[in-house]
Amino acid sequence: MDVLGDGLLEALRLLLTGDEDTWAITGLTLRVSFTATLIAFLFGVPAGALLALGRFRGRRVLHAVANTGMGLPPVVVGLFVTVLLWRSGPLGELGLLYTPTAMVIAQAAIATPIVTALTAAALQQVDPDFLLQMRALGATRFRAFGALLMEAKLPLLAAGMAGFGAVVSEVGAAQMVGGNLAGETRVLTTAAVLATSRGQFALAIAFGLVLLLIAFTVNLAITLAQHRQAAVR
Amino acid sequence: MSIGCRDLRVSAGGRDLVSVPELDVAAGETLAVLGPNGAGKSTLLRALAYLGAASRTGSVLLDGRVATTAELRRAVAAVLQRPVLQRSSVLDNAAAGLRMRGERRGEARRRAGPWLDALGVAHLANRNARTLSGGEAQRVAIARALAVAPRVLLLDEPFTGLDATTRTDLLADLRAALDQQQAAVVLVTHDREEARALARRTALLVDGEIRQIGRTAAVLDTPADLECATLLGFTTQLPPALTGRDTTLVARPERCSPLADSTPPPPDTVVTDGVLRRAVPLGGATRLDVDTVTGPVTAITTADTAFTPGSPIRIAVATEHLRECAPAAAHDASVRNRT
Repeated sequence: MDVLGDGLLEALRLLLTGDEDTWAITGLTLRVSFTATLIAFLFGVPAGALLALGRFRGRRVLHAVANTGMGLPPVVVGLFVTVLLWRSGPLGELGLLYTPTAMVIAQAAIATPIVTALTAAALQQVDPDFLLQMRALGATRFRAFGALLMEAKLPLLAAGMAGFGAVVSEVGAAQMVGGNLAGETRVLTTAAVLATSRGQFALAIAFGLVLLLIAFTVNLAITLAQHRQAAVR
Repeated sequence: MSIGCRDLRVSAGGRDLVSVPELDVAAGETLAVLGPNGAGKSTLLRALAYLGAASRTGSVLLDGRVATTAELRRAVAAVLQRPVLQRSSVLDNAAAGLRMRGERRGEARRRAGPWLDALGVAHLANRNARTLSGGEAQRVAIARALAVAPRVLLLDEPFTGLDATTRTDLLADLRAALDQQQAAVVLVTHDREEARALARRTALLVDGEIRQIGRTAAVLDTPADLECATLLGFTTQLPPALTGRDTTLVARPERCSPLADSTPPPPDTVVTDGVLRRAVPLGGATRLDVDTVTGPVTAITTADTAFTPGSPIRIAVATEHLRECAPAAAHDASVRNRT
């Protein structure tokens, strides 16, 4: 119990006194995870729209693949990205392994199926004649699609948040492709694992608290948005 | 601006859903396309606007020239059968058509406002569209389409699902709103009264083909074939074997009356003998289903009837209420009754 209590106090001290390493690690975590989520959004929203609205052979199979991808183990993604970026691997010449870029690639690979599947689900909730009605009012395809995304903005936001939540909290891929190099690729999750293994519980708890704070902030934002939406219904 | 089509065909699975060799609606004119469920009315309407992913051939004309999809988008506004509204205020929904055409939000709202007023829903402008009743939502959908000042307005059964009072009010408001515009209007409906209330001309669509087109009053009163007759309510059909005439005669059941045994037939009537199968009370009237040697015949009467099922009965129809009809099988692809 003392370990936990002392750990909490020390963690708060670290955070409140502005421990430089902690904030640097937090900054890198946010940068890597937000970038990965953004990339996942850029790929996942069109892919999800294609699954929701497209009429082509194999659509259902691809939908099932995307749904399965939501549970993709980060360690497996980390393994594949490591093999791809390994010095003798297909993309080894790029020299990206153990860099934040490699972590962004791995985390984007984890988040993209989540954003894809949730986007497809979000767009399928909109009236099936929505696009047709917007076109029937004179909209170009582009404008009609924009209106559709606006119509589903809240569930799309939730899709982005889910993707972000998945990558900010994963440790397997970040560890494998980033290598947890101090000052270079150390993020909150890998730092917490290292601190725990060294018995630096206060530090590990501090990292955990920051992670929790980030998760809370993200969920608070979406909950408030949902309530605002519900209020105008 | 006028809209029309030439050799317009829509097909699916190797089957023609709609095949219209020629159709024209002038600027300022309203054409009703009347047809039973599954006749291809909505398919025709969507094909006229190049909407949807159906396989189409032929051309759509605007002012007599073959139109591109982009030209149709600019000229046409369509109201679908079910009002599809956005998750926003009524005013923003009414402005959505203008927004979809690139208008700025403030200007779109300013121009949409009067149409909410014209359709009687201005007091709901700030309400969330998701809270509207079916009739209110349809009014907003129509206001949204009218707000873009379309040169061609396509209406796909906009009164379906509305109660009688709401429908009558909306018909009147829509008539007044259409009078303010010089749009060519195509109204798809299965209701004769809607055609009568809104359209100068009416086309009858059966099995994807226009069987009859002409002035509404004339079309509704003179069916070209038996399927058109059924569609127009001439459901009492007396084949030659029953009447001794050359063609089948048709009449509305409410124009057919039962004769008591001893009553001599009035002059200028056609009388048919049969056996009463059943009498169906309709509230203020009674429908008599009668079996004749050639098949069933229906009469609707407001008089008290003493007939019991299984008893012989005579049905009289004044010749002025009878129409001669070619059998549907004799129909060729040509459009009849042009007036």
